[in-house]
Amino acid sequence: MNGTRQAWLVAAREVRERGRSRAFLVSFVLMLLAAATAVALPALLDSGPGTKDVGLSGPAPAAFGPALEAQGQAVDTTIRLQRYDTVAAGQAAVRDGDIDVLVVDARRLEWRTRADEQLQAVVTGAIQLVAVQERAAAAGIDADELAVIVAPVPVTNVELGQVAGRSPDDETAAFIMTVVLFGAISTYGAMVLSGVVEEKASRTVEVLLARMPARHLLAGKVAGIGVLGLAQVVAVAVVALVAAGTVDSVDIPAVRSSVLAWAVVWFVLGYALYATVFGTLGSLASRTEDASSVTGPVTVVLVLAFVVSFAAIGSADTTWARLVSWFPITAPLAMPNRIAMGAATWWDPLVAVALTLGAIAVLVVLGGRIYTRAILHSGSMLTLGEAWRDAVSAGATAAARPRRTGPARP
Amino acid sequence: MLELDGATKRFGGRVALDACSFVARPGRLTGFLGPNGAGKTTAMRTVFGLVELDAGTVRWRGGPIGPEERGRFGYMPEERGLYPRMQVRDQLVYLGRLCGRPRRAVERTVDAWLDRLGLAARANDRLDALSHGNQQRVQLIAALVNEPDLLVLDEPFAGLDPLAMASMSALLAELAAAGATVLFSSHQLDLVEDICEDVVIIDAGRIVRAGDLAALRAAVPQRFVSVRYRGCPPDWSRLPTVAVVDQAAGRARLRVDRDSDLATVVAVVGQAAELVSFAYEPPSLSELFREAVAA
Repeated sequence: MNGTRQAWLVAAREVRERGRSRAFLVSFVLMLLAAATAVALPALLDSGPGTKDVGLSGPAPAAFGPALEAQGQAVDTTIRLQRYDTVAAGQAAVRDGDIDVLVVDARRLEWRTRADEQLQAVVTGAIQLVAVQERAAAAGIDADELAVIVAPVPVTNVELGQVAGRSPDDETAAFIMTVVLFGAISTYGAMVLSGVVEEKASRTVEVLLARMPARHLLAGKVAGIGVLGLAQVVAVAVVALVAAGTVDSVDIPAVRSSVLAWAVVWFVLGYALYATVFGTLGSLASRTEDASSVTGPVTVVLVLAFVVSFAAIGSADTTWARLVSWFPITAPLAMPNRIAMGAATWWDPLVAVALTLGAIAVLVVLGGRIYTRAILHSGSMLTLGEAWRDAVSAGATAAARPRRTGPARP
Repeated sequence: MLELDGATKRFGGRVALDACSFVARPGRLTGFLGPNGAGKTTAMRTVFGLVELDAGTVRWRGGPIGPEERGRFGYMPEERGLYPRMQVRDQLVYLGRLCGRPRRAVERTVDAWLDRLGLAARANDRLDALSHGNQQRVQLIAALVNEPDLLVLDEPFAGLDPLAMASMSALLAELAAAGATVLFSSHQLDLVEDICEDVVIIDAGRIVRAGDLAALRAAVPQRFVSVRYRGCPPDWSRLPTVAVVDQAAGRARLRVDRDSDLATVVAVVGQAAELVSFAYEPPSLSELFREAVAA
């Protein structure tokens, strides 16, 4: 029987069985809802940056209202005014969230929590302007002259970002990608782990291994869950993008499509690397309860890789960032960052891909051996050292003998 | 024909299989016997490459065993287990396809077995929704989904009720009659004696008896005499070559040499009592087993 076909059957079973399980479907729907909500909710809750409600209480100059509206318009903000007879009523409205700020006696601003800096500037500016107008009138300065004197000077804002030559959009894209890749690799790696442990704990694995070599089983399982994971991540991303487009809330960084393509490549590579390790170590555990203790060290490594890659975003051009983005353990998280930051040369990702593929190949061979030794071992939990010694000694005998079980009889 | 030739396996310092050689022939049921921990499971696992031998070989039809050959083998491990949450029919079809058979052929085989074992109505239930007995049946079908030429079953009778045991025996005999090679381990010696043509006895990793059951029994130099009588217990001490294996009121079982004079036994009984029945026979399988394993 063709090994590729067996691995394909294993992968197809993983997709089918997991895809139809209620737990999977429920969690998938929740993920989609969470993605849509996370993107759309801020826009829906906020009445929009364009509108602010300002309450007035106590005496205020007649010109204050129009001045406030004019100041608001200068920064694309519509100011809606509410008058309150008592300060207490105004404060209650602030506490209830009916108004954003209460202006008392045209001198004091009362906020529910911290001041909204932009709104503070608008209101303060209006108060100052009215005061200047009153004093100018008292000093006999003509209103038109005054308008010329206090005409606003246009000021523009530029977002420099953390790194020279990079837009903050690049940084945002790099941050989001690191988080999503880390989350996806841990989630689907854990799924491979639980699948392997479940097969071992239920003893299904002996029936399977009587029909196929362990490496085909492991490869098929990793591939099946990977396909499922990729589909899920893409679906969530599409929902998030659609939600963002519909409500027009979050400023989606203008990410180059090549960056997205590389993100997919690095999900596949990073997942393959870590899932192989998770699956191999899962074979050491005899019960579901042991699973997390055998994989603890890998989880720590993955978290460290995440932290290091995160740190590398800010210094994408340094030599250590380049090395981190080449090193197979950190490359799946660090290289997509550097690509998003535009720090990678055209051959940088190719080097990292080659190194990571090599590491995966080594892990598959070693992992397959350890898996074969450990998976039929029941009872107490195997240590990696024991399984490794077994695998190495068996590998040595296997190398010394012909591969098949014996010479054919004449 | 399945053939183990000098199969040797050590686990650390412990020898699990010590130069084991035996055959299981097509068209016959071969019972694989031995005390717990003697090496039965390890020997069976070698057939499927689940245990890599340190020395020796396993051959099928005279040749080496590769993936192609294993696709025509069926195996029921000692520790039963299938995916608990997978539907019965889906699971069996999956296992059959892993053997390399096309889907249609596997589906036909699976449906026929589900039907025959009374599980057709449960085909789309999850395995863990089935009773213990029905799960055992599904496990048996899992070993049969590829219509195997060689069937290896590790303790297939363990945990079965008497009715299930009888139908399992009939089924194995039927498969052997259809030409399959059937090797199974068991501690139920009476049952093995009833249904097996061949037996293999393993003790502490060594094969101590192997071959045709009738020939093995005939080859033992001792014979057993079972007598029933009415009257006083005979004085067996007058027969120095006879050993009393078991006795109770009105009956006795004696071990004698193959060429001993039975007339003297009859005479000793006649002196004290009236002989009701007399049987002269080779050892039962359990006697053969105890003798082989104790040696």
